[in-house]
Amino acid sequence: MDLGESIQELLHELQPFAVIGNNTGKTSLILTNYMVFLIIAIALTIVFFVVASRKLTLVPKGVGNIAEWGVEFVRNNIVLDVMGSEGMVYLPFIVTVFFAVLFNNFLGLIPGLKPGTGTLGTTFAWGIMVFVVYNWVGVKKHGLVPYLKSFLPSGTPWWLVWLIYPLEVISHFLRPFTLGVRLYANMYAGHIVLGIFGIFVVMSLAALGPVTAVVGTLSLVMQIIMYAFEVFVAFIQAYVFAILTTVYLNGALHTH
Amino acid sequence: MIGSLSVLGAGLAFGLGAIGPGIGVGFVAGKAIEGMARQPEMAGRIQTTMFIGMALAEAIALLGFVLAFVLFGVK
Repeated sequence: MDLGESIQELLHELQPFAVIGNNTGKTSLILTNYMVFLIIAIALTIVFFVVASRKLTLVPKGVGNIAEWGVEFVRNNIVLDVMGSEGMVYLPFIVTVFFAVLFNNFLGLIPGLKPGTGTLGTTFAWGIMVFVVYNWVGVKKHGLVPYLKSFLPSGTPWWLVWLIYPLEVISHFLRPFTLGVRLYANMYAGHIVLGIFGIFVVMSLAALGPVTAVVGTLSLVMQIIMYAFEVFVAFIQAYVFAILTTVYLNGALHTH
Repeated sequence: MIGSLSVLGAGLAFGLGAIGPGIGVGFVAGKAIEGMARQPEMAGRIQTTMFIGMALAEAIALLGFVLAFVLFGVK
């Protein structure tokens, strides 16, 4: 098998396929493999926090300690940094978003499993959820008409309103789109990179010689480095998703 | 012909579209490090803002990424 065929097979491997239902689109209810991993990750998130909050003590131990560290991380580095103390109302929402994304990303790093966030459908749905939540928060605080008016930056000259206002509205509608694509693209591209280095290693082993021995060893080293980098990316993407959610909420509350 | 041109276009769309955001992300990180070196006590706040700036710059590259996939499908 040559390199092109291997890469085609890798891309095919990363495509979602139906576990229940069929791929032709005849059935309306389809359970894909990515949805199974999504459900597993969400179940793990719930179990993690239920176990962590079962025995609450002043000095936490074990799982409770890890969970408390995570919640404190979100509180200090995301909510308090961006919104200040008034953002504490939204802490439960942001912690949920952060840990749901984090568990999904980490699940995909276990060999043989895939991240629930590895398909565009899931990440788009989460982006749209964030979009609905922050707009709802803004409308609830300011009222519908003042909120819609506040899209316009203050100090815009009246003769530029026709240009600036549509641009601002478009940028709002781009937010769920970029949130979704950013998360999906990072997870998908990471898996492709890991897969391609895996293909290099296997192909070098198949045609063993002085040159391919060097190439194979370098690919294996690179794969280990990239794997470590993917662990970092999985965390950073959850962090970025949560922090952008907070920034959008803050923008909806403090209109300019 | 159209198929092979669309593959070429997909590559160009992502490659050329990544130049600007690449420079932008590098600029954000460099300036953030400069700021942190000058005022280490502000490192936390600077880091948070840095990630927001990086995410916004990255969004432009992602539009190219999506466009590449759209072009890839053109037969």
